[in-house]
Amino acid sequence: MLRCNLTAFLLVTCLAFAGQVQARYYDDVISSGYISIGLYRNFPPYSFEQNGQAVGVDAEIGKRIAKAMDLEFRPHWITPDENLEDDLRNNVWKGHYLDKDDSQPLAMKKLADVMMRVPYDREFAFRQESTGEMVNEHVVMFGPYQRESWRIAFDSRKIEEVSTVAVFQYHPIGVEIDSLPAFYMVSAFGGRMRDNAHHFTNVDEAFRHMQKGKVDAVMGMRAEIDWQLFQAKDPSFHIGENGFPMMGKQKWDLGMAIKSTYRQLGYAVEEVVDRMIRTGEMEKIYQQYGLTYELPGLYQDVK
Amino acid sequence: MSKFATGKGFAVTALVAAMSLSGMANAGVTDKDILNDQMTTGDVVSNGLGPRGQRYSPLTAVNTDTVQDLKAVWSFSFGGEKQRGQESQPMVKDGVMYVTGSYSRVFAVDVKTGDELWQYDARLPDGIMPCCDVINRGVALYGDLVIFGTLDAKLVALDKTTGKVKWKKKVGDYKAGYSLTAAPIVVKGKVITGVSGGEFGIVGKVEAYDAKTGKIAWTRPTVEGHMGYIWKDGKKVENGISGGKAGQTWPGDLWKTGGAATWLGGTYDPEVDLLFFGTGNPAPWNSHLRPGDNLFSSSRLAIDPDTGKIAWHFQTTPNDGWDFDGVNELISFDYKDGGKTVKAAATADRNGFMYVLNRENGDFIRGFPFVDEISWAKGLDKKGRPIYVDENRPGNPADSKDGKKGKAIRAVPSFLGGKNWMPMAFSQDTGLFYVPSNEWAMDIWNEPVSYKKGAAYLGAGFTISSLNDDYIGVLRAMDPKTGKEVWRYKNYAPLWGGVLATAGNLVFMGNPEGYLMAFDAKNGEMKYKFNTGSGIVGSPITWEMDGEQYVSVVSGWGGAVPLWGGEVAKRVKHLNQGGSVWTFKLPK
Repeated sequence: MLRCNLTAFLLVTCLAFAGQVQARYYDDVISSGYISIGLYRNFPPYSFEQNGQAVGVDAEIGKRIAKAMDLEFRPHWITPDENLEDDLRNNVWKGHYLDKDDSQPLAMKKLADVMMRVPYDREFAFRQESTGEMVNEHVVMFGPYQRESWRIAFDSRKIEEVSTVAVFQYHPIGVEIDSLPAFYMVSAFGGRMRDNAHHFTNVDEAFRHMQKGKVDAVMGMRAEIDWQLFQAKDPSFHIGENGFPMMGKQKWDLGMAIKSTYRQLGYAVEEVVDRMIRTGEMEKIYQQYGLTYELPGLYQDVK
Repeated sequence: MSKFATGKGFAVTALVAAMSLSGMANAGVTDKDILNDQMTTGDVVSNGLGPRGQRYSPLTAVNTDTVQDLKAVWSFSFGGEKQRGQESQPMVKDGVMYVTGSYSRVFAVDVKTGDELWQYDARLPDGIMPCCDVINRGVALYGDLVIFGTLDAKLVALDKTTGKVKWKKKVGDYKAGYSLTAAPIVVKGKVITGVSGGEFGIVGKVEAYDAKTGKIAWTRPTVEGHMGYIWKDGKKVENGISGGKAGQTWPGDLWKTGGAATWLGGTYDPEVDLLFFGTGNPAPWNSHLRPGDNLFSSSRLAIDPDTGKIAWHFQTTPNDGWDFDGVNELISFDYKDGGKTVKAAATADRNGFMYVLNRENGDFIRGFPFVDEISWAKGLDKKGRPIYVDENRPGNPADSKDGKKGKAIRAVPSFLGGKNWMPMAFSQDTGLFYVPSNEWAMDIWNEPVSYKKGAAYLGAGFTISSLNDDYIGVLRAMDPKTGKEVWRYKNYAPLWGGVLATAGNLVFMGNPEGYLMAFDAKNGEMKYKFNTGSGIVGSPITWEMDGEQYVSVVSGWGGAVPLWGGEVAKRVKHLNQGGSVWTFKLPK
């Protein structure tokens, strides 16, 4: 909400504006002729820029949502904060505190009408604060479109096979800093893989180091690893056959989020995405980027 | 009568004061001005009223007898929409006040009238995500320059008359998670700054730049294993690895991304010629991932201002697992032990212990709690190392095999600390430290239902609760020689602003409820309060002009407290944000 420190007269105006923060009602979206789709910045293969264009599976889905609703597609790039709650607050329901314009104090905050790549997890969605309040009451998380999991890629010139993670007691592996793979490699099995865990800013950088022979393997999200392998086209790089014992979360579903007051928009978007999944269009998008596509739990259960 | 003499008598004071009143009106700030700041009452040219950061003024016109007559003479608004967390300490020189506002803004104000002379708004990049809120803690003055740090991690030097940029230097990459919020300090012609940074794998550092030109002089990483550099004739030369070599107190490659941000800046003592900088918590947050002391996280570092070499270190929370941090200011002071003068320095840590160190070599002299309850340690050993209560260390997320919420650990103080950033003051008259502290606990647990950037994650869940129904904040008068609390003032909301002690037997402090308050330095009796209209989280100053004593403080609620939910948020929810400087004096 906009912060309104104005006189009583102006307050009325202010409230009117505050009621329509940039994420908008269905009717506003339709009449404006465009829809802003929240995408993580520089996050291949999900969303990134190529020659000034938004690409990646999430961007492709966003473009199809816009097209089906006869709207212009506008990416809303998200710089990730420390966790998902922060991203939802900054980009879906409240806006970021740095998004202020002194020359236009009543200007609306820039929000995404729909945010992509929001986990679809009932336990998370209905989580409560210690005070009993709903943590995520300001957003609706809906429309699961993909199931994600973990994967390891390794250099077969260095490691014969990765049937269990035990090999990383002996071989260096790259992980993204402050991620679950980083926690896993540093702490699982009493920290026996700890000294071989090498930390990088992201999976892309970890993979570059594998290509340079600095680490023998990389662990990341399945789609990130698939994408790197698809790009590298190097027959020496293989996918690990291993499982991830003791890993709390093995698989999770990804969907979308809208502000909780804009459910009508959510229904319209959900209809488009649901059709894409059922017709196989979704799977095609993933294939186009060389990624494994796994149906989200909701669709696996009804099949 | 002062037991805590600093070696500078009244004659010197009078002389310097006289000089500052005569022909120096338009001269720029010199190193000497900064070194003598505490005793030259006509100006405030350093953060902390002198490089030691004692926040003590020898002025006496406003005192326990007269303070009740203190009246506001002007209030200056920072204006605009940007009213979030005003943690600045103003500076005053030659009739002009230099003060920063949140969102990297600087204002020059005519101290006679409260008129704005100029304003500088740093242009921040789009999509910037600073780690540590949008606050700024103030400027440094040198020559005709006003120097401050921006949220996108740049040092900017402005012309004191026009507010135009004279030089600008990038201290860190904001995209990698670096930011600047502390007031830089100037020592021997060099601007010395630390860095702020989040959990993105930054490495803390202290850097020195030529104050006149902005050219870098040296850089000193605060994590063991990283190479320091010094610039000789414009050439970057290796200057020794911090801690000697990598891997002594860190497992694997975690030292490469070890944290230890120097986000609160530092102090300087000219007698031992050392800089004192505190360092933040180690990364990652989960202490079980990094067995070892994790040097130099959660420590105080003494650094040679000429070379950037670490002279000594003192670690308050080895293997920090509570986000206690260790950035708190280290304040130099002398005291008499028998007939002997002890060159000491004191610091009140987020972890709830106050430490008195020998500032020449970092030796531990004594330590004691300055909060009512400490759950994570039984006490300190002979060297000042905490004696941990192992069962009160937050659990290892790797132990939550079933993906269920982990066991909650009650940790006191909470991660916001027994004392957070807000600087304490030391009175040379009473020999006491005035410590703004908070009594709160946190429950912390592993949160397996957590996501980050579309990926499953293991977060820590926490909730902060107060220990008492009627107060969280406590302003304490602590005796550094005995560890005894001499008096306390209790405040309903948590305290988040700095303290000022004066020779008028007064202690000034603001509270989130908006009051600027003055207490009798000897017994804590409240002698004055005035509501500034928004919460005070800045640090008051005092100075003299035309024979009258002035007091100024920035008002504008914000900072870290309102960012966290839970029980504490209820106490501060109704407080309104703001952004203004108030200036007071006695009526003629």
